[in-house]
Amino acid sequence: MAEKLEVLVLDDEPIVGRRLKPALAKIGCDVEVFQDPKEALERIGQKEFDIVVTDIRMDEIDGMQVLEHVIKKSERTKVIMITGYAMISLAREAMEKGAFDFIAKPFQPDDLRLVIAKAAKALDSPIDFEIPPPNGA
Amino acid sequence: MPIITFSSDSYRKSREIAKKTAEALGYKYVDRKILSSVAVKYDIPEAKLIKTLDETPSFMGMSSKAHKQYLAYIQEAVLGELLDDNAVCHGVAAHLYLLGISHVLKVGILMDFDERVRQVADQEKVSIEKAKKIVRRQEKQRKRWSLDNFNLDETDPSLHDMVINISQIDPEEAVSMISTATGYRKFKPMTYSIKCMQDRELAARVRVALLKDFPDVRVQARDGTVVAEIKALKREKHRKSSAVKELVGNISGVHYVEVHAINDIFRQAAESGR
Repeated sequence: MAEKLEVLVLDDEPIVGRRLKPALAKIGCDVEVFQDPKEALERIGQKEFDIVVTDIRMDEIDGMQVLEHVIKKSERTKVIMITGYAMISLAREAMEKGAFDFIAKPFQPDDLRLVIAKAAKALDSPIDFEIPPPNGA
Repeated sequence: MPIITFSSDSYRKSREIAKKTAEALGYKYVDRKILSSVAVKYDIPEAKLIKTLDETPSFMGMSSKAHKQYLAYIQEAVLGELLDDNAVCHGVAAHLYLLGISHVLKVGILMDFDERVRQVADQEKVSIEKAKKIVRRQEKQRKRWSLDNFNLDETDPSLHDMVINISQIDPEEAVSMISTATGYRKFKPMTYSIKCMQDRELAARVRVALLKDFPDVRVQARDGTVVAEIKALKREKHRKSSAVKELVGNISGVHYVEVHAINDIFRQAAESGR
């Protein structure tokens, strides 16, 4: 069996981590959830994650800073930005800084699972995930 | 890969650059040829669709209602074509209805005023003075068209991501610059921008379905949820909202419809004055 994808989820709203952890575990991810960016950065310093999912707007340290930090530490890590304040300038800035993808909140767990699957493929660790067709067709 | 839209004060030159860019990148090329399929689908003479893109409604010309409807048909078709990225789009005003989508590289092609005047003088076989008047009139017309239809000033360079003056830069060089820019990460399609595109395409289809009965309708879509804003008198609100839901409910991609019926103050005033 392939090794589990190591995923860090950072969002200052506890509900996001609570929802995403089981959703990603279902597709074979080992998920660590953080609400405090400082703690998340500390953990990123200790361990190389395959994927980091981070909110953008947070107090003290924002998602862009997290992105820069992760890219600096490990170019291999794929960073997925999530935000409730999506707009073209922010999206372009994130991509320019090296984000793997950018998702606007609210989103369905399948939306993130699909992006995680793409990231896994880019990491040469493909996972088995396809979005189920609508209405179970 | 991104979508590239072109707009210009020199239609022919920008078309040449757009075509060459599509060839260089191996992208699909979308231009006014799309109008023939729109004409067939909605049984409208193609000439009227071309006129829609070039002229504003007028008392003696096209009515405002028809203009709005034809433009909506064009938008629907163009957005449908652009759902797959890797496309170059020219001559259908796409840059005005694709604002805010990050994987759309909006290119503006400019030409020096004097050069445009010389071109017009040659093409139309008129004096330089007459050509100047024509060019000024065209400029005014472009500005008015975009303001009337999208509340945007088409001649404002800030609408574009890249502006190239082809009086100073060769077309080949322009193609190379644009091709290079498509490689920038910021123009890469992402989940957010792809969804924005899908939402806009869905909103365009819904609007087309509603325009005939609700000429003032405004439509927004997000992830299959459609919000339609219509004007209605108080007593009509329920009936009109139901009519919208019936017209839109079966459109593919629509999962939920919300109707905002706002007071039609002009009709209300007219009625109370009777």
